[in-house]
Amino acid sequence: MTARVVFTSGFARKYTNGVREFDVEATNLRGVIKAMEGYFPGIGHALEEETNVAINGELHETGYFQLVPPDAEVFFIPRIEGG
Amino acid sequence: MNDSTIVTDSVKRFKWVGTRPIRPDGVPKVTGRAMYGADLKLPGMIYGKVLRSPHAHARILKIDTSKAEALPGVKAVCTSADLPEQKNEFIGPERVAVNFWHVTRNILAREKALYEGHAIAAVAATSASIAEEAAALIEVTYEVLPHVIDVDEAMKPGAPLLFEDMKTRGVEPEPAGFSNIAKRLEFVMGDIEKGFASADVVIEKEFTTAAVHQGYIEPHACVAKMEADGQGEIWSSSQGHFQIRALTAKLLGCKIGDLRVSPAEIGGGFGGKTIAYLEPIAAVLSRKSGLPVRLQMTREDVFKGTGPTSGSSMWAKVGVTKDGKIVAADAIFRFQAGAHPGSPVMNACLCSYSPYDIPNARAVGYDVVSNRPKAAAYRAPGSPIGHYAVESVIDMCAKAIGMDPLELRIKNVAGIGTPTIAGPKHAHAGFMETLQALKAHPAYANPPTGANQGRGVAVGYWFNGGGESSATLSVNADGTVLVATGSPDIGGSRASMAIMAAETLGVDYNLVRAIVADTGSIGYTHVTGGSRVTFATGTAVVNATKTIVKDLCRRAAMIWDVDPEGVIWEDGFAKPAGANVGDFKPMSLPEIAGKAAATGGPITATAGVNAGAQAPGFGAHFVDVEIDPETGRCDILRYVAAQDVGRAIHPSYVEGQIQGGVVQGIGWALNEEYIYNDKGLLDNAGFLDYRCPVASDIPMIETILVEVPNPVHPYGAKGVGEVNICPPMAAIANAIESATHTRMTHLPMSPPRVLAAMSGGK
Repeated sequence: MTARVVFTSGFARKYTNGVREFDVEATNLRGVIKAMEGYFPGIGHALEEETNVAINGELHETGYFQLVPPDAEVFFIPRIEGG
Repeated sequence: MNDSTIVTDSVKRFKWVGTRPIRPDGVPKVTGRAMYGADLKLPGMIYGKVLRSPHAHARILKIDTSKAEALPGVKAVCTSADLPEQKNEFIGPERVAVNFWHVTRNILAREKALYEGHAIAAVAATSASIAEEAAALIEVTYEVLPHVIDVDEAMKPGAPLLFEDMKTRGVEPEPAGFSNIAKRLEFVMGDIEKGFASADVVIEKEFTTAAVHQGYIEPHACVAKMEADGQGEIWSSSQGHFQIRALTAKLLGCKIGDLRVSPAEIGGGFGGKTIAYLEPIAAVLSRKSGLPVRLQMTREDVFKGTGPTSGSSMWAKVGVTKDGKIVAADAIFRFQAGAHPGSPVMNACLCSYSPYDIPNARAVGYDVVSNRPKAAAYRAPGSPIGHYAVESVIDMCAKAIGMDPLELRIKNVAGIGTPTIAGPKHAHAGFMETLQALKAHPAYANPPTGANQGRGVAVGYWFNGGGESSATLSVNADGTVLVATGSPDIGGSRASMAIMAAETLGVDYNLVRAIVADTGSIGYTHVTGGSRVTFATGTAVVNATKTIVKDLCRRAAMIWDVDPEGVIWEDGFAKPAGANVGDFKPMSLPEIAGKAAATGGPITATAGVNAGAQAPGFGAHFVDVEIDPETGRCDILRYVAAQDVGRAIHPSYVEGQIQGGVVQGIGWALNEEYIYNDKGLLDNAGFLDYRCPVASDIPMIETILVEVPNPVHPYGAKGVGEVNICPPMAAIANAIESATHTRMTHLPMSPPRVLAAMSGGK
């Protein structure tokens, strides 16, 4: 099933030559990270360490186990913490 | 009590969720028996004292501890030389990127003292008075350096540099020179120029805010006991004992598993106790002396040596059409990080526009070091500061087009699917419902009409948190239930955890006891912060309880000698189901617990979660004020706060969170500020001169709990602890403008400043 992966412009500049959007085949975040790692070796570590992720707008810590529904938007954003 | 309203469309009724049982931590607190950070006393314990810098900025040429070490009763002295050096690299994501080179220097200064109050060295002795005397005998040779306090001054070329080799991250290409600007951030969506070109009214304004402290009542305190084999225990008042354990282990260079950290009762944190200050020092002193060491701060230490939230300098610009559509917004946020990088400026960039559907927006942030204590988290860190600027300008826009300020917000409110400047689209409802609930408040239709009176409106947004939490449930032989979690209880989590467990089990709340377990007794749990505990730890508790329910059904089936599928759990009883209906009398939890040994042993279950899909926090407030034209004093006549709470597990605690956040916001708005003299020294390091609001300053804060349940939480809970501090500063500024026709652009809006502004000055 296809998911649309989106990065912030800053992350894209750093890791994907400025390309912000990708379509990948995945059913969970592990699959998304693995697919991106295939395009850009090393990006998986950056995704795990530097980002949170919004799957169809729902915020999660970037992990492996989260399910990715068909045609989902998987948006990686800077990690956030509160007080 | 409280003038509270609960707005809910829930048709589901619960037995315990939504009720207000007496708080389980009440008796020990009101009788003075609760054990806070400074209350633990161990056999052989000695007392520590930290020596702090008297200078805002100075190179440390020499530290001579010989006289202190020679003082009778002194058992240990430590400096930064006792902590291993750390790599100068940022680890982890931008907002929370940790650079332990900086962290260890904030715990104990190395090359330079970077602010007044910076810890330089520490001693431990057989009494507190000897420790104090010994600290005074430590001779530090300083080369005093020029300092910089103000964020705008710190950004200027030629400003005194705190780190002579620091380059601004986030700028491409890398700057050639060095700077106090640690980082630049920029977020954009849409086409800014096109957006402003389509506006009928464009308003821009500069704002500044003072650094403010969380103002927790309990100063930091801990006891550390390190053994000769390298293992150790720490008792500490913090918002996260797992965080304290991890930071202390990293800074000491020991294994996480060698430390066990126990949570003390906590007297407030509000973000300021999510990090370590004293624990690594106490551990070093204990390791060197071989004795348990207690270390605690004075109030002056707290103000000078721990992190307030950032002060700021900001610019905000908003464009609207005549019919009230916000078409463009732009802002620059310059935040004081304090002496080391790491202000919450990114949160200001990401939160300030999030309440709205604004097609074209930009937010630029600067993280700037200056000779102040390192900024720490404070309730929705960064968001209230950004909201002050943006919500003020949006109010000005409403006045310029002649629209009610709440109507303007309703017209532009974000909903599910609205893009955010962070990138993702909003996924949860609740904003519109909250605005409508505020509008429906009986007083909204009747604004104050007296002389020098006015009303202000503002809203606030906060992400809320999820993440990792653990919970263990154990059923005792008499059917009582123990709920253990790793979340320090700051806002009533013991009560809410017990309520959720009782609801899921179907048993009396009074049979359930909740505790906060130490790092050796429960799985990893992230800090109590980010409004995450009721959501994330609550999910862990419910998951563990559901496992217990399955186990109880299995045991009942064993007792009845039927298949487990033939048993259901209902209202606190195992009941025969299917073909077994009517064959057995329902079996209670105490009855099954009494057969625990015969049915396989202890009844216990543990759950660990990494909870995601948390819903954000959204609040909308209005405030009525009256200004004394002779003194400039602002009296709060009425304050009404509506907030989307998802589902109030224990409404009294939720109301308390809202009221607390609002009161802190009132203090931030009207009085609180760090005041530095021309030597860069803090002039008001005490509650007499740093003016927090007290009960006589404010009316009862009226709350409206708007229940739009979070579909991914078992009972619909959303985080409620932080967003309530986001609107007050702008709401009060907007009210003062309504009352005086004077726009206040600096916080705090203290009487002299209001008076000066009314007289035409700044």
